[in-house]
Amino acid sequence: MPLSTQSQADDEQYVLVASLDNARCLSNILKAITFKDHAIFSATPNGLKVTVEDSKCLQANAFIQAEIFQEFTIREDLVGFQVNLTVLLDCLNIFGGSTVPGVSTALRMCYRGYGYPLTLFLEEGGVVTVCKINTQEPEEPIDFEFCSTNVTNKVILLSESLKEAFSELDMTSEVLQITMSPSQPYFRLSTFGNSGNAHYDYPKDSDMMELFRCTKTQTNRYKMSLLKPSTKALALSCKVSVRTDSRGFLSLQYLVRNDDGQICFE
Amino acid sequence: MDCLLEGNCVKAFGKAVHALSRIGDELWLDPMVRGLALRSVNSAHSAYACFLFSPLFFQHYSLGPVSEQGSETIKCKLLMKSVLPLFRCLTSIERNVERCQISISTPSDRVIIQFFCRHGITKTHNLSFQESEALQAVFASHLCPNVLKAPARLLGDMVMHFPVSQEEITLSMTPLSVSLRNYYEGGNDHMKTMYTEMSLHLDEFDYFQVGVDSDITFCLKELRGLLSFAETHCLPVSVHFGAAGRPVCFSVEDMVLEATVVLATLIDSESTGPSQQTETLAPTTPRCAEAAVLPVGSCEANSRKHQGVPAVMELIPSSQGSPIISPPALMLLVPQTDNPNGLGEPDEACASATTTPASSTICSLLFRALSSEQDSDGCAARLPVLAYYSDGEENMEEDYTRSPSL
Repeated sequence: MPLSTQSQADDEQYVLVASLDNARCLSNILKAITFKDHAIFSATPNGLKVTVEDSKCLQANAFIQAEIFQEFTIREDLVGFQVNLTVLLDCLNIFGGSTVPGVSTALRMCYRGYGYPLTLFLEEGGVVTVCKINTQEPEEPIDFEFCSTNVTNKVILLSESLKEAFSELDMTSEVLQITMSPSQPYFRLSTFGNSGNAHYDYPKDSDMMELFRCTKTQTNRYKMSLLKPSTKALALSCKVSVRTDSRGFLSLQYLVRNDDGQICFE
Repeated sequence: MDCLLEGNCVKAFGKAVHALSRIGDELWLDPMVRGLALRSVNSAHSAYACFLFSPLFFQHYSLGPVSEQGSETIKCKLLMKSVLPLFRCLTSIERNVERCQISISTPSDRVIIQFFCRHGITKTHNLSFQESEALQAVFASHLCPNVLKAPARLLGDMVMHFPVSQEEITLSMTPLSVSLRNYYEGGNDHMKTMYTEMSLHLDEFDYFQVGVDSDITFCLKELRGLLSFAETHCLPVSVHFGAAGRPVCFSVEDMVLEATVVLATLIDSESTGPSQQTETLAPTTPRCAEAAVLPVGSCEANSRKHQGVPAVMELIPSSQGSPIISPPALMLLVPQTDNPNGLGEPDEACASATTTPASSTICSLLFRALSSEQDSDGCAARLPVLAYYSDGEENMEEDYTRSPSL
């Protein structure tokens, strides 16, 4: 692979080097959280985390474990920068959306450190493209202080069942109401639209329910517009965990399996 | 009213809703002893459809408690755009839905449609409805001189040859053959139109009766839903019609259901001169009760801004004990100038069915919504009222035979 012929010396300057045989893997995940232009990247020895926020009320994070990458080298404990996500996606797809089997775009992402652009080496079929994207000062992502100890209700559902529900949701409703309870109706999604209301009930013993742990009955309403970006993530995922804490904050975690392993994001 | 449908029947029910959605923007639900009727009519009153599901179609069918006053059950109408999305994806219904329960709940003014799906998932939809008198078109199909009964796929295969955008087609019947051709506005640029005509020998039909040679022109779009339904269920389609100007009735039936579509036809098929779509008349047209402006019916070609639900329906008091509106009262709506409600302004009504000048006379047929031309008022008066809002008990003043209601 041409990329591997890069001289080893170059690598010394980079604070972060990550390689993927198939850039599609990364671009699909990033597409799922692209509801705003800018994303904050933070890399640790565990992997890469990409954060996108909207109006201080919605935050999406994609975690890509280090093991997913063919090569993942990091010289500091934490490397952070902010880039324009739309530009990054355009670069990742620079060879077009080729779906010819056997042909994939290889990626080598390198970052020299504060003040330097993010360099992407993309190769497909012997053609190499180098992209340099200017980075910005990473903003501090909001910490919603959603921690596991405060979680009151948690369910894990297979995405298949939710995908259908979300595609049928009444969009004339401004809110989506989520009810989680240790008793009937267990897990319910409700909408209140122009023509009436609709309820989707998932019983706790359903085949689709992998985990059901609800301690108290909670009903919360969330703005539909804030949930819309999550449908892209839902489409990619195989499982979803829905958690609410004592304040009613909602955390949705989607597990995306790619060919080799897993990538989790919330 | 409370009924339970199982598996495959839910799909058939959904297909019926699809077919009805091609006709009008509202769905009338009429639970009766002989079954549940779903009906729709287009805004111009030139197309009407009814799907009647007998109690055998359902796993369980009950009209609910009979009140002391009488045997009336709630008759209501729903917005098509509330109901259609529930049955939109028929393949996923087939895959996932095990049972469907439909009930009308008076205290909460809701129609409750509940889908019991695989994996224990339940989807409940509470739709608000409007009480309404039953919608009925009375059409003497047994009096029609011409009858055709086509095997399931035949008509569907024939209409497949016409482009999806084709609005009207002309069906001609002679003792030797039946032909279908597309209908075009006279005076238009002949160079741009593709003419398609196909003929079938009468032997291709399961049954035929040629009373009069006739050419009838009607709106194809509104029929497609029924043809698709018939094809899915492999049911033969019966066509009853007469001379041009008389309505045409397409029907299918089997042991547990009957479906009928009645379409108005052009009175004369030699249209003269180009006719522009008339503009919306509307300030006096009452808006329908719902806040949302309903989309225009499927045949509509022009872009009109508002399409009120035909005012006739809104005029009728909705409670059960309401006075029966007799057909002559509907005549009040006819003369444009006197019509305080501005219903069915003729051009508006007509335009929905066809785009030709003669269209002004088509729409008269079902509900007496009439053309603006003075002379056709007279003409309209001679045309029998085919559909009216009632409990079905009143007498028609016209001298036309009571025929089985659809």
